[in-house]
Amino acid sequence: MGYLDALRNITIADIKVDLMRTAYDNDDALLNKFDPRIVIIWSAIFVVVPWFFYEPEPLFVMLVASLLLAYLSKTSIYLLGLLIWGSLSNIGFIVILSSVVYWWQGGSGGLRGAVVDNSVALLPFTMKLTVISIVSLAAFSAMSPKKLAKGMLGLGIPRPLTFAIAYGYRMMPVLLEEYHDLVNSLRLRNKAPENRGLLRWRYYLYLLKLSIEAFYPMAFNVAKRSRVTVEAMETKGFSHSLGDEDSRRLRLGSLEILPRDVTFMLVSLLFVVVVAVFL
Amino acid sequence: MSTSKIIVDDLTFRYPGSDEPVLRNANVEIGSEEFTAIIGGNGSGKTTLCKAFNGLIPHFFNGTFEGTVSVNDTVTTESDVSALSRTVGYVFQDFENQLVQPIVRDDVAFAAKNHGLEDYQTRAMDALEAVGLGDAADRFIWELSGGQQHLVALAGVLAMEPEFIVVDEPAAQLDPHNARETYEQLRTIQRDTEVGVIVIEHHTEFIADYCDRLAMVVDGDVAWTEPVDVGLNRVEELLAADIHPPQVTQMARQLPEGHGTLPSGRYPVTVEQAVDAFPTVASTGGRRATPDGSGTGERLIRVEDVTHGYPTLREGRKTVLDSLDLELHAGDRVALVGANGAGKSTLLRLLTGLESPDDGVVTVLGNDTNETLPEETVYIHQNPEEMFVEETVREDVAYYFENRDDPDVDTRVDDVIEFLDLEELADRDGRLLSIGQQRRASLAIGLATDPTVVLLDEPTGSLDLQSRREVTRMLSRSATRTETVVVATHDLQLVAEWADRVVVLGPGGILADETPRSMFEQPELLAQAHLRPPQVVEVSDRLGIDPPALTTSGIVDRLPTQEGR
Repeated sequence: MGYLDALRNITIADIKVDLMRTAYDNDDALLNKFDPRIVIIWSAIFVVVPWFFYEPEPLFVMLVASLLLAYLSKTSIYLLGLLIWGSLSNIGFIVILSSVVYWWQGGSGGLRGAVVDNSVALLPFTMKLTVISIVSLAAFSAMSPKKLAKGMLGLGIPRPLTFAIAYGYRMMPVLLEEYHDLVNSLRLRNKAPENRGLLRWRYYLYLLKLSIEAFYPMAFNVAKRSRVTVEAMETKGFSHSLGDEDSRRLRLGSLEILPRDVTFMLVSLLFVVVVAVFL
Repeated sequence: MSTSKIIVDDLTFRYPGSDEPVLRNANVEIGSEEFTAIIGGNGSGKTTLCKAFNGLIPHFFNGTFEGTVSVNDTVTTESDVSALSRTVGYVFQDFENQLVQPIVRDDVAFAAKNHGLEDYQTRAMDALEAVGLGDAADRFIWELSGGQQHLVALAGVLAMEPEFIVVDEPAAQLDPHNARETYEQLRTIQRDTEVGVIVIEHHTEFIADYCDRLAMVVDGDVAWTEPVDVGLNRVEELLAADIHPPQVTQMARQLPEGHGTLPSGRYPVTVEQAVDAFPTVASTGGRRATPDGSGTGERLIRVEDVTHGYPTLREGRKTVLDSLDLELHAGDRVALVGANGAGKSTLLRLLTGLESPDDGVVTVLGNDTNETLPEETVYIHQNPEEMFVEETVREDVAYYFENRDDPDVDTRVDDVIEFLDLEELADRDGRLLSIGQQRRASLAIGLATDPTVVLLDEPTGSLDLQSRREVTRMLSRSATRTETVVVATHDLQLVAEWADRVVVLGPGGILADETPRSMFEQPELLAQAHLRPPQVVEVSDRLGIDPPALTTSGIVDRLPTQEGR
């Protein structure tokens, strides 16, 4: 029961802090040091690159590289875990289903052989998906909200959208707090199952039910909050700023591409070329 | 320096879709050389009036608008909200939702940047310095306390160098200590920069201490504007609008003719004035020893050597409660007081079993909360909105029974609703009620479960007089249904009137655990816990009434008058 207890002791508070760290605490993150426009373009390139490789070896090298990058960018371990669990369970399901069908149809090699064959066949695909997910997660979680919004504005994305991103980051902790409170409020009024079942599955199912139930009231409370925000935005001259050249210039002021940004881009591309040629 | 003026001339306004106008032929003139307070009962139209100053009405809420509002030479209908906001800044009551950027400095500079002002950075820093938050410029908004967030919202407004600042109910969302800080800041800003400050407020004690002029809004019209001393003496009119005059003014009224008035013939409105006006008392002898308030009833809750904290982003785990021991008994009416961050809410959450202590044991009704959620305990959230999960109050009250397949849900729900006089609210959505109604409804949700222990977090926060009275009455009534009630609060008037045991939490743990009376006898203790005694206690202290009186009638009985005594 040792590790299950450890799992139980991950509190919502810990997850909250970890998510916040991913979103905000990026001063030391590798990808936060570059010009945001470069990072956005860079991640766009690396979402495409893995699809040009078909052999497991280069993909594996890329997977390792992207994990290293995620580590240097201080990506949330929970998010990373969730992501990897997602791809594995997804692919795992396909493997099992296809193998059972294959075996049922009387394919040679039996069930075991089918599982092995199918896993190997799907391996490159799994790795491609995992690489692009990790790369984009690392890129977007490493940039501070301000930088991300600035970079997108610099690339010509309309201001209402870039503002929405900065605002989303501002609201995230508030939402987490609110959600946590609502789940607690429900827990206090519900009845936990007395018979918890094997590995407490009934209990976890019960918690899952509550956590879904808490969404609707949260959406409602958020809508209520935003009424004041919209009024306040008006008093802060947001709509004035949409057509104002001076305002746009001020907001983009400090963006410039430095030699290190170019170096970063070149080194990454070189890495791909090396992988492509030698593996 | 020339002063600016806001002139409202014969203003009538009706919100779209409503039949009754909110403002009817309102007239008022406000100058920037004064600190003006606007008061009025709930729904009298004071917020609507203030939103007309910066053009939110009629530009943002387009209803039926007649009359004119002008700020200096600008008529609001001929300008727009962005432009007007540069002259008239607005700090909303829900100031948290006014902060739209993650980092303090960016939020304060937001408006200046939107207007394309080159010096936005200096403006932001100057504004932050002006409110005393220069050090917090690079922090995240959500890391700040409520009081600090309010000051950030204020700084955001100051950065535009306005001529007027409107602050909507600063004391409603802030604890008394922070509200006082905010008022100090506003007073300084008004004196030093001659920015006109307008507050919407119903705490007359703040008005008496900080404001110059008082404007009373009744039924959508400004009934009168008077200097504060004169205005707060119109006690009958204030009470008719559910506004509490300062406690000292109420005391003075209860004293026989000629005993509680100032030389001018008016009632005092501040403690200073009261001390001058009231007859002095000969010392009533030494202090009486007072026993601590812990009851003799059966022990219901036991907190043993509990240490608890929460993880933070940058400073690791922060310990809030350190080796705390506490026992609560049946029949106790416990008030939990202390500065923000002293751990009041944390302690309540531990008692509910929602959180398990990092170290130590919490036992509620004989059960270790680490093992089971104590069923007999009810926790009423500081923010009542978090209690409403269904579409009507009735369904919310029934929720607990539905989950337990209780056969007579309806009778039990009806019983509670009737007990708390909530019939007219029962079929409305809890989240759309006023805050006072929400507090009462959330109490119903809690009491429906026939709990043994009731835990309330700030039950009287941001309530007006009427709602406050009702919540206090409900608290007293709920005593017949429960064994023990624990209230975390900043409201020392509530403590004085309701509690029989006070636990004062401080950074080092429990600072004191005693009766309210004995707590009020120790000004150092109150200061340590960031609390300010009610005016009765302060006046008692200044006049030498010992032990201090806790209610206005208590003090009136003790003051010597010519009718003898």
